[in-house]
Formats: sequence, C-alpha cells, structure tokens
Amino acid sequence: MAFSRSAVEELSALHGEPDWLRARRLTSFGIYEGLAVPDTKRQEDWRQVDLKGLDLEAYAPFQQPNGRAPLGTLENVGATLRQRGTSPAVVSIAPELTQRGVIFMPLAEAARAHPELVQRYLFTGVKPEQDKFAALHGALFSGGTFLYVPDGVTIDEPLVSQFWSAGSGAAVLPHSLVIGGKGSRFQYVDEFLSGDRQEAALASGSAEVFLEEGANVGYVALQHWSIKTWQFANQRFQLGRDSHLNAVTIALGGQMARLRVEAILQGPGSSADLKGLFFGTGDQAFDFRTLQDHVGPHTTSDLLFKGALRDRAKSVYVGVVRVEPEARGSSSNQANRNLLLSEKAKATSEPILEILNNDILRCSHGATVGPVDPEHLFYLESRGIPHPVAERMLVQGFLGEVLDRITVPQVREAVDQELAARID
Amino acid sequence: MADFEIKDLRVSVEGREILKGVSLSVNKGEVHAVMGPNGSGKSTLSHTLMGHPNYKVISGQVLFKGKNILALQPEERAKLGMFLALQYPVVVPGITMSNFLRTAINAKRGYDGKDKSKAINVKEFRALLRDEMSVLRMDDSFLSRYVNEGFSGGEKKRAEILQMAVLKPEIAILDETDSGLDIDSIKFVSDAVNRMRGPELGVLIITHYTRVLKFIKPDYVHVLVNGEFVRSGGPELADWLEAKGYSEWVKEPAKAPAALEAK
Repeated sequence: MAFSRSAVEELSALHGEPDWLRARRLTSFGIYEGLAVPDTKRQEDWRQVDLKGLDLEAYAPFQQPNGRAPLGTLENVGATLRQRGTSPAVVSIAPELTQRGVIFMPLAEAARAHPELVQRYLFTGVKPEQDKFAALHGALFSGGTFLYVPDGVTIDEPLVSQFWSAGSGAAVLPHSLVIGGKGSRFQYVDEFLSGDRQEAALASGSAEVFLEEGANVGYVALQHWSIKTWQFANQRFQLGRDSHLNAVTIALGGQMARLRVEAILQGPGSSADLKGLFFGTGDQAFDFRTLQDHVGPHTTSDLLFKGALRDRAKSVYVGVVRVEPEARGSSSNQANRNLLLSEKAKATSEPILEILNNDILRCSHGATVGPVDPEHLFYLESRGIPHPVAERMLVQGFLGEVLDRITVPQVREAVDQELAARID
Repeated sequence: MADFEIKDLRVSVEGREILKGVSLSVNKGEVHAVMGPNGSGKSTLSHTLMGHPNYKVISGQVLFKGKNILALQPEERAKLGMFLALQYPVVVPGITMSNFLRTAINAKRGYDGKDKSKAINVKEFRALLRDEMSVLRMDDSFLSRYVNEGFSGGEKKRAEILQMAVLKPEIAILDETDSGLDIDSIKFVSDAVNRMRGPELGVLIITHYTRVLKFIKPDYVHVLVNGEFVRSGGPELADWLEAKGYSEWVKEPAKAPAALEAK
C-alpha cells in the first residue's frame, strides 16, 4: 500500500480521530501530492542533501497490526508513553501529576478529549507547507504524544516518550505536541528507536514545543533509528515572554537523517539554549538546519552542535541566526564543531546571519572541522595511554560538552553506552 | 654504559636541522641540567626524546633498557619509564584530571579494560594523590576540572609534576618547568621533584635560566648552543652561566622572551 488518501482515512479511523483532525490530515495529503521531492540542486534549503536512493513508493504508510513497544523499565520518570508504529500507545503517568492538571496522552486521544488545545497548536509550528516530507508527516503522522503542563506547575522527574519503528519497509512518523503553561517547569524526552539496526524505514520524529510566559522547559530528543532509515524531522520551539528553553538533540542513527531545529524567540526576554550531538559511522549522513529567530527584544540564544564522524560518514550543518527588526538588545551565539576520525569522513558547515536590527549586544558564530588534535594525542600517549584509548577519550571529551547537558540520567546512560560501543 | 644514553642525535624540524649530533649519558640517581639560549634546540631535544611526531630523527640512537627508544611510540616510551613534563601543557577539554590520571596509571599497570584486578581502585587512587597534591599545594577541585582548562601557568606546571609523581618514571625530562612560574610555585615544584630524587630516578632539567637550579641542585650541567653541546661540567657551571650568560656563544638581548623559542 502506497501513500494515498484512503491510507490517510484508514489511519485516522484506526485512531478514532475526530472529523477535524481527519480533515487536517487530508489537507496535508493534498499538499503532499502537490509538492515534488525537493530539488537538491536548485532549492537553497536542500542543497548538499543526498536524496539519491530514496524511493517514497517503497514504504508502507503504516503497518497494522505491528505489535507493542518493548517495555523496559524506566526509573525516576514522571510519565512514559510507548508506541510502536501506529499501534496503541501504552501510557503511564504518576497520579499526582494528573491531579495537578498535567495532561500526558496519545495525540489522537487528546484530539478527542482536548480539541480546543490540540486544534489551536497542532502543526502551527511544523507546517505541512514547508516541504513534501513535512506534508507527509502532517498527513500520515503515526501517533505521538500530547503534553500539557498547566500554569505554575513544576515537575521534577522527566516525562518520556519512546517511539519504535513499525518494522522493515514501513513509515514511522511520530509527532509530539508540548505546551508549557505560564511559569511551568519540566523536562520532556522523545526517544526514537528501531528494533533492528538494519531495517529499512522512512521516519520523522517531530516536535512542536510551546513555552508560555516564564516557562522553563527542557527538551531532549534521542534519535537512534536503524542505519537504513531516511529521516526527515522538524523541531520547532515557540518561546513566550521571559521563557527559557534548554534543548538537546542527539542523532546517532539513520542512513540519511535530516533534522530542522527552529527556535522562535518571540517573547521579550526569552532565551534558548540549543545543543546538538551526532556520531556517524559507515555511510551515515546527517543534515542539520537550525534557525535562531530573534523576534522579540532582549532575547538570547546559544547554539552548539558537535559531532564526530568516522569511516565515510558525512554531515552538513547550515545554521541561520536571524535578528528581526524588533529584536533590539538581543544576543546570539552559534557554534558547530566537527571531529573527523578518518580521511574519508566529511563535514561541511555554513553559518548564515540575517541581521535586521543592529542594536544588538552580541552575535557570534564559529565553525571548525578537523581531526583529533595531534598535540592532544601526543599528550595522552606520552602518559602511556595507548593510542586507541587516547582517541576514544578525546572523542568522548569532545562530545562531553554536550553530553554533560543531558540532565536525564537514563538518556545519558543510553547515549554513553552506544557511543562507547561505536567509537572503538 | 649509562642507564639512559643519547648517542650522536641529529634531528630536523620542518626540514631544518636543529640538533646536530648530541650525546649525553644519564644514570638513574643523577640530575642533569641542559641549559641554553633561545633557539638552541632544548625543546627539540625534549620532544624528540618523548617521540613527538613533528620531530624527525636524521640519525643517532637513544638507548634505554637495552632498546633504541627512537623506534618506539610515545606510549611505549612512557611504559618503559620515561616522562616528559611539557613546557606548554595542552588544554584537553572534556577530560577530567581525575579520569586522565586514572587512565594513565591503569595503562602503566597494564589494565586494558578487561582484568579489573589490575585497575587502581578508588581508595588507592585517593591515597596516591593525597600526599603529592599536598606537597604541590593543589586542592581536590583540580581532579574534577578538565585537563589544564582554566589552569594558571603555575597550576599547569604543578599538574605536570603531579603526573610525574604518580607515574613514577625512571627517566624524567622537565622542559622549562620553571618558566612563567612565581617564586612560590618554583618552590612547590622543586620540593615535589626533590622528594622524588633517589637512586631510581634520573632527571634531565631543561632550562634557560639558572633560577630553578638553586632549588633542584644538578649533578651535571650541559650547555646546548645551536644544536650542539658546547660545554659540560658540574654544578659550578651553572653559577658561571649565572654570571656570564650565553654571551660567549651568542649575542643575546638582555631579556629574551622565552616563548619565542622554537617548539
């Protein structure tokens, strides 16, 4: 079964979605049909992306049934949602959180139970018009999480979603919609996994996060799809007045994993800390497009994307800092650092500044691409540390700056383990 | 034959010959000072002995424990018992001093990540560091900081000597360990080195100035000029240099900026 209107209708019915949501899916599908696969030669935003070998017809829009997500234990979390493909999600949430008005449930369920909230926010950040893949995501998103944290509510333990791929040959398109009320404070984690590291899949894994006035939100995305996954994902953060975002995105999987991260610093005094980490081996390719959009005055953003590549792995980083006319007194920093661990690994980095208001405090950017520093290697080796150990320590040290920002212990552990296994 | 023997060593850097046939014998239990003006090849000597990849050996041998160590990787030289305290220790972000020291100690003990009984345990590690750190006036916060990151000049040099103290080399090369240090730091560093002196350690102190030699008394002094040893003698040679400088061999500005020396 290819991507079709009937597939959209079938999926919507399967989730028992209300009419308005089915209508939105169908509108997105119309956009999908009307758009061509991006032209990587002519479309600025898609330059350097290698789409050779991508055959959208090769993927089933969903598989049914596709079994349950594995249920490992997660400790010290406030809530979990686990979903495999389009199957019903398994949710658990501390009763105390529900009592305080926290809503944490599958997106389709929220569309029925809280239509006013979902309708108002869904796909207003990640718009289906953006490109063919975003439209496909809007039409056939396989499920996802809805999280609403009311005004003034602080949650100490992280809330975690785990999305598993549906099996070889299927699309898996999860979507998280997160709303942090005024003065709320919490951490939310999206984890994307494949049961089999070799299975072929088409994936997204997108998130829209809205921070209302004074909200302080941590967002972590940990992507370890199979190494035969095509990923087209979007993260969009909308920041209200004096809100603060701490986002960490980790990309470990994918054959070609594209991720767009956009922070819209709308509210005066809002600030965003955006960290990214990637590690590629074999023939993996990563593609990151970031936007730090300073709309309101006195907004601050700090971005750091760091990655290490070995074998023939590649990465493209294109980062835009935009200071809009109203954004006086803003401050931004952008850095992309790439470590090449083999001769054939390749990283390109392109910063783009669009400054429309010169009354800014600071706007800095920097990019580096290079091998492990031979002076560092010599230093460690001169202390008797064997070359492979020294190299592994230096890679971990290099990535540590971002790893140290993952405040959720389970996620940190998972990443450390995978890196340790793959760096050697 | 001496315990550590440099024989007619010639070395080039970026195609230029810097060391032009240097020979030196160091026995364990001895402290040798290698002195020389800027650009004489002092740092080339120290880096070549430790196996830095930028220094190309043209000819010569360095014999230690029955091996020509010039054929060995830096890690193998370290395992054999050599140590180099760098003039400019590098900042290594993301690796804590504690992790760095523990990994180095474990490497020396032959721990390869498998046989846990070879690895140093937390208690031993603590005990090993406690004494040395107090001599060097270093507090515990050093251990959780990244290697040399944000360290002052004096802290970097003390951290080098701390590494030497826990790795217990048999041949230690101290490259301009006194440069950039205030007098207190020189004392702390010298105390730590003097504690380690003994029949199991041979030391090569490389320095431009005689100042440090008032605290670490050498048994022998060698003057290196333009890639060759031009004079050797006992500790009195240092006093002579203190008075005369290197003017016999080179024209020198009164205050030579040490940082300009070829690395």
